[in-house]
Amino acid sequence: MTNLLYRTILMSTPLLLGSVAEVFSERCGVMVCAIEGIFLIGAWGGFVGTYLTHNAFIGIMLAILCGTALSALYAFVTVTLGQQQVVTGTALNILAAGFCAFFQRVIFGVPTSPLVIDTLPILRIPILSNIPFIGTILFSQNIITYLAYLLIPLSYYVLFKTSLGLKIRSAGENPVAVDTAGINVTKLRFLTVLVAGSLGGLAGSFYTIGYVGMFTTNIIGGRGWIAFAICFLGNWTPYGVLFGTLAFGLADALSIYIQAVSTSSYFPREIVIALPYALTIILTVMRSNLRVPAVLGIPYKKDN
Amino acid sequence: MAERNTSFNIILYNSVAVIIGLLISTGLLAFMKINPFDIVARTLSKIFADKYNIGEIFVKATPLIFTSLAFAFTYKANLFNIGAQGQFYAGSIAAVSLSLLLGGRVPRVLLILIVFITSALAGALVGGCIGIAKAKRNANEFLVSMMSTYIVNAVMDYLLRTALQETKAEYMQTDAIVPQSYLSIIIPGTRVHSGFIIAVLAAIAVWIILDKTILGFRIRAVGMNKHAAELGGINTKLIFVISFLIAGGLAGMAGVTEINGVQHMLLRNFNSSIGSFGIGIAILANANPIGCIFASILFGFLNVIGTTMGRLPGTAIPASLVELIEGIVMTCVIIATALRVYMGGKAEKQRMKEGGEA
Amino acid sequence: MERTPIVELRHISKYFAKVVANKDVSLKVFPGEVLALLGENGAGKSTIMKILYGLYKHDDGEILIHSKKADIRSPMDAKKSGIAMVQQHFSLVSTHTGTENIILGNTKGYIPISAYNSKIQKLANEYGFDVPVDVKIEKLAVGQQQKIEILKALYLNVNILILDEPTAVLTPQESETLMAFIKSYVKKGNSVIFITHKLKEVMEVASRVVVMRNGIVVGERQREELEEHDLAKLMIGEEIVAPVRDSSNRWEKLPTILEVDNISLHDSKNTPILTDISFNIHASEIYGIAGVSGNGQDELCDVLCGLKKPDRGKIYFKDKDITDSSILEHNLSGLGYVPLDRLRDAIIPGMTLSENMLLKNSFSGKWSNKGFIKKIELNNYTSDMIEKHRIKATGPADLSGGLSGGNQQKLVLGREVDIGTSLLIFNQPTRGLDMGAVDRIHHVMMEEKERGKAILLISTEITELFEMCDVISVMYRGKILGEYRNGELNTDNLGLLMAGIRPEGL
Repeated sequence: MTNLLYRTILMSTPLLLGSVAEVFSERCGVMVCAIEGIFLIGAWGGFVGTYLTHNAFIGIMLAILCGTALSALYAFVTVTLGQQQVVTGTALNILAAGFCAFFQRVIFGVPTSPLVIDTLPILRIPILSNIPFIGTILFSQNIITYLAYLLIPLSYYVLFKTSLGLKIRSAGENPVAVDTAGINVTKLRFLTVLVAGSLGGLAGSFYTIGYVGMFTTNIIGGRGWIAFAICFLGNWTPYGVLFGTLAFGLADALSIYIQAVSTSSYFPREIVIALPYALTIILTVMRSNLRVPAVLGIPYKKDN
Repeated sequence: MAERNTSFNIILYNSVAVIIGLLISTGLLAFMKINPFDIVARTLSKIFADKYNIGEIFVKATPLIFTSLAFAFTYKANLFNIGAQGQFYAGSIAAVSLSLLLGGRVPRVLLILIVFITSALAGALVGGCIGIAKAKRNANEFLVSMMSTYIVNAVMDYLLRTALQETKAEYMQTDAIVPQSYLSIIIPGTRVHSGFIIAVLAAIAVWIILDKTILGFRIRAVGMNKHAAELGGINTKLIFVISFLIAGGLAGMAGVTEINGVQHMLLRNFNSSIGSFGIGIAILANANPIGCIFASILFGFLNVIGTTMGRLPGTAIPASLVELIEGIVMTCVIIATALRVYMGGKAEKQRMKEGGEA
Repeated sequence: MERTPIVELRHISKYFAKVVANKDVSLKVFPGEVLALLGENGAGKSTIMKILYGLYKHDDGEILIHSKKADIRSPMDAKKSGIAMVQQHFSLVSTHTGTENIILGNTKGYIPISAYNSKIQKLANEYGFDVPVDVKIEKLAVGQQQKIEILKALYLNVNILILDEPTAVLTPQESETLMAFIKSYVKKGNSVIFITHKLKEVMEVASRVVVMRNGIVVGERQREELEEHDLAKLMIGEEIVAPVRDSSNRWEKLPTILEVDNISLHDSKNTPILTDISFNIHASEIYGIAGVSGNGQDELCDVLCGLKKPDRGKIYFKDKDITDSSILEHNLSGLGYVPLDRLRDAIIPGMTLSENMLLKNSFSGKWSNKGFIKKIELNNYTSDMIEKHRIKATGPADLSGGLSGGNQQKLVLGREVDIGTSLLIFNQPTRGLDMGAVDRIHHVMMEEKERGKAILLISTEITELFEMCDVISVMYRGKILGEYRNGELNTDNLGLLMAGIRPEGL
């Protein structure tokens, strides 16, 4: 039980980072449909950085850099050029998959044994981690997990209490008003997508550095999309996505647990694998009265 | 006149974009410390030296025509069907099950007919569910279709591990279907099968539906302006469902061409990227069904280049290079689209400046 | 002594992809004056001001502020030069409060919201603006929203205020309050640029008038030389003869075509939108509904065309209950509808003219054969339509999005007149159109009335209603405030009714 909850918190880390990234960009009017690719390139960047330097910090930095770079390309095409977000996302996801596989080969050739890195050490918070049960679940996690959870109140503060947050939220509701107020909508959206990309890259790195310790091209397996979905289900608020993430983290942890213990071949353990995806569909269908940002997914074009 | 000009421009801009994309990709080969042009030359000469390899282009293009149509069709209704992969899997499961069950027991033509219909229905079932979710609950079809792929994939994995697993029970794959259920080879010495012709016919049929019929008109009307279509008496929700049914059916048929035409069995992660390639192809073709045929052949060609390069002796080029190439090409095409629209606007403005009169 | 202008535009030209918006426009603004920019819709008034405000880039010419060349690239630059603009379509974030809208882009870091609220409320009170600033915009009336827009400018302490058709959304009484504000504002040495197409307003507040037509400046008049006829001629360019109304009231003896019986409608939050609406329209009758925008007219149209179902009440069309009929059944039964927002509801800009003609006929079987489109017949019909309504297009294969607003409206008009064999519903059919198109629409309405069709005309333009209608009623907050024969009302009475006040003796 303790282990399951510990894993829930652990597995929800990247989803939390990814969905907060989406909250920012979608509040601003841009769906980051390249999130799957950003996760992947982050995972890859994190792995390469850590493997080559034996320094997880450099790995994380490289992951963030990779995520930001891909989101910059995404922002250029969707925000600056105003192209279809879904379509651009698909293209960049394919591009990221090809890029990682190709450069994995360029850097490492064809390795004879699997390439492994050390995963992030567990940082026990003094005193708090000694509390029974809760201490193990909440205060014996790695650094990315702590960062992800600190990000929630911080995002709430930025989005709802500051001038920047007001600009971001306005851009997703009425970009004309933002433009008229003398704020460059394109620049604002571009930068917001970059921030989302850096968070997405960090999220991706969690899979390689924080959890598996290896890189494979299918390491993300749709979890970027789940982060994307959680943003919808969390009604575009930081605390909303926190709940969504915990639900999905639990499902994720459960699936790993069941796969490990189930022996009977006819037991449909795939149900558990499909659970997060099914959950997304069910929740999307059930919550039809979401408060979607008014111009979500619509590029802002000035008729000049 | 204006319209012809536009389609000419689309072809021009997209062709240039494809060439630029290919040049960038070729340049990336330099990272492997090999001479890119040498490699490309070797690859091309290897492909064109062999009828079999040329045939492979069309073999690879066949399912892509279906999946690109599956995206293009809903795209006309302004819907995003990102789930062609799942619909294709549903069709594949239906195709392999029926072929295993009926193969050799019913005449080949009848079997193929049954398999085609059932696979289309299986794909349409998955697609239809997405359409209903959109119509009834206004769910985000993009998200639902994306998620549906993972679910169908899980179902397929389960079946491959249990009911459909091969008799040896060693790998997660089915037994091979009997030759009496194969799609016939239409060019001897290659793997090009009759599925290619069916795919081309399907594209033409889609073009006729969209361009010549009232149903197609209604679909396009809903896609371009939902509100006006609704006031025109069109049931937009019904159109959502119909579009997804047809799109799902198209993607499902790709299952037949791949199971009965090429692989002759179903295995895990079967053709795992034709769904997303379909999207890229549809965009390259500007969602034009006839364009989808040619764009699919181009992507088929890239695919063959990728696999051939991967097999060249003395290099360690990964076959996944093809994904990199296709990703780059797609990105270039999207950028070219933006550029084409921008240049078009600029040219019109220039005319205004010179002429001064509307 | 020659005064120095605070702002000077020199030889500004602006080209859009489809139209020349401004050609060689020069004008000056002096401190302490109200400059009226008069012209018809589409004359280029808004464009030139959007250039001054930094929303558009000009292609040629230069802007001088305090006699120095200014490079205004964005509204931020304009504000720094002391210029603010209230656009015709308000640029407010409707899910945010007034305060949030006002401080957008004018604060840094943490927002102490209550401090801002009291500061801005104080500013509002100073100018006598009766509007709560801590309420979400979507909860405010249109007149109040405009006050928030003006507060946005006042908050920045600008000295040049551009108002684009500010009275379009106001009742006559609210307009008067606005005029009073403008007068007191310029007394303090500020300047106002007042964009309008209404002569009456020009006569009331302008210190100077610049008249524009087809993107160029066609004349300039000082306060003392203002004369209505002269301005009208400058603005329009040619005399237009209004259609003559048949005032014989022969419709009274003709059968009732549409009977609206006590319908009510609530929105999702259970706020009443329409309350107990009842009226009848006879054959050959033009029934007008006057009212300021946003008083339930659009929802009434939605109910009449079948898009929304009323919560209570019945609608009878040719003695048949159509309350629960679908939109399709409405269309097939002979009801034509020209909606307010044609680009949203009536045409598909990305489709050809023929396809747009087919849009409302895809079920009638008129142009289809076994599910296939009869393209040749459809194209012939469309060509006839282009000729009949003098639509400026090269042929039925043109994209409707490439037409001007007036021609698009004529396309819709032609289609709906054919579909609406018994009843035509018009929701502000002439809004934003040039005089030529307005004239065409008015003539067609009269012709169709002669043919025996019942016509419902919803309008905010008092002149249009007096010119066209046999009967006029007024809608205010979802209710009908009385029904009058044309002639029983004058402009003042109608104005009061539109503001929800029933004048004495009516």
